[in-house]
Amino acid sequence: MKAVVVENLKYRYPSTERLALDSVSFEVEQGEFIGIIGKNLAGKSTLCEALVGLVPHFYKGAYGGRVVVDGVEVLSSDVSELARHIGIVFQNPFTQVTAAKLTVYEEVAFGLENFGFERSEMVDRIDYVLKLLGLYEYKDRNPFELSGGQMQRLAIASIIAMKPSIIVLDEPTSQLDPLGSEEVFKAVQSLSKEGITIIMVEQKMEKIAQYADKVMLMNEGRVIDFGAPEKVFSRSDLETYGVEPPVFTSIAKRLNIKDNDTGLYPVTLEQMRRLMISEPHRS
Amino acid sequence: MARALSLYVEADTFVQKLDPMVKLLYILIAILIPFVILPFRWVGAVFILLSCVLLLYAKVFPRVLPLLGFSFLILISIVIIQGLFMPGNKTPAVEIFGLTFYKEGLLYALTLCIRVLDVLLAFALLVLTTRPSDLIQSLVKRGLSPRFGYVLSSALQVIPQMMSQVDSIMDAQRSRGLETEGSLWVRLKAFIPLIGPVVMSSLLETRERAMALEVRGFSASGKKTFLYEREPLVLDKILQWALIASLVISLVARFTVL
Repeated sequence: MKAVVVENLKYRYPSTERLALDSVSFEVEQGEFIGIIGKNLAGKSTLCEALVGLVPHFYKGAYGGRVVVDGVEVLSSDVSELARHIGIVFQNPFTQVTAAKLTVYEEVAFGLENFGFERSEMVDRIDYVLKLLGLYEYKDRNPFELSGGQMQRLAIASIIAMKPSIIVLDEPTSQLDPLGSEEVFKAVQSLSKEGITIIMVEQKMEKIAQYADKVMLMNEGRVIDFGAPEKVFSRSDLETYGVEPPVFTSIAKRLNIKDNDTGLYPVTLEQMRRLMISEPHRS
Repeated sequence: MARALSLYVEADTFVQKLDPMVKLLYILIAILIPFVILPFRWVGAVFILLSCVLLLYAKVFPRVLPLLGFSFLILISIVIIQGLFMPGNKTPAVEIFGLTFYKEGLLYALTLCIRVLDVLLAFALLVLTTRPSDLIQSLVKRGLSPRFGYVLSSALQVIPQMMSQVDSIMDAQRSRGLETEGSLWVRLKAFIPLIGPVVMSSLLETRERAMALEVRGFSASGKKTFLYEREPLVLDKILQWALIASLVISLVARFTVL
């Protein structure tokens, strides 16, 4: 079974003329790490919200097409029920804290309480996710006393505790300092290793190039390209879509270092190093 | 960083461990008996004494003193106004700085003061010895809407957060030359450029938080559970029945003996 199937998805927000999502179609396999890139208003966040059902259930508006997540049709299932299959982490770590719980431990329990889990199951899950995301030592702290990076990890932990098979992250590091961003990327990497499907919107191209199995390039609500990072970042028209390639790809393009078999540029330091030391591949 | 607006004081006493519903019942009885059923000053004084003993035992009495200090101003004004100007004043009791205080007014003021202190101390017992989340959990278990329960519990943390946000916005506006200190007129003028960003950012944050709650199953159908299930104490039942018995006895006394 595919983790995500999106077929000809079209969506327009209420009181607007322009389609925020226009004929979007793609599929994601279980356990894949997908990076979504594109400039502002490309439709990235709207797509994330469509995957978890906030579009159309929360925002309303004109909706067409089909989204199936973990075998569940989004249109015929409400947001709370979809949360068992897919979770989302938003940009702002401060607004993801419920503000109704006094400790980190209780905060993670919020979703589990809503779904009626037994206490023993809750404790097992909370202990596991707090340790996985390096938050166990802060379990008795008030969530508002955490740093931005810790708070974002708490938001991820709260979602992971509900054991969704897919996690969507909408620019989770955009409001964090470099240290906080690194904490989040490490956490996401460990989730990916656990076999959870990751769909992540991100502006830090080096990180996307490093972690993603596939990259989706979006512009004005449409999917322009969807494939391996090397394929998407090697596009000559990338900058016309408001996207800067990773720094290693830019350098490789200038020095014309590319894989002669595929004609694609490297996207990570490791790929570049490999191409540079294997002379026959160097163009 | 703003903290939660909670007055709860952690201590290892039976008062902190009691079912919050028993404390709510105590408040109800501490109001009903001396106000309605047995409206005598000594009954109110007994409840004040009982609340004080419980507050002392729960090691929270020092936290009551600021509340008492605040109410002291109100109580003094009650004594002055009633002692001097109550319509039924006839018997002069004491004269201070040429002003005659009357016995009837002073006794009525004493009744009011006892009632104010009675209510204040009974509520202080609940607020200072009960974790807000435990109180709300107890109410939700007894049928309060989880949505209303959320509003109650989040208010304790959202209000300090909003206040810290107002400070940030005020700093931002100040850095752009807005004068926020000085005469009343200057401060009033500064209020207008502050209110827009505060309201807008609060609305946006509320929407984002609503989405974050939804994706964590806030509206999920089915029975909710709680991480911390309070173990019911034998003392809960004993005190609950003792309070109900005191209510019944006072009612019987009201309609038979007195």
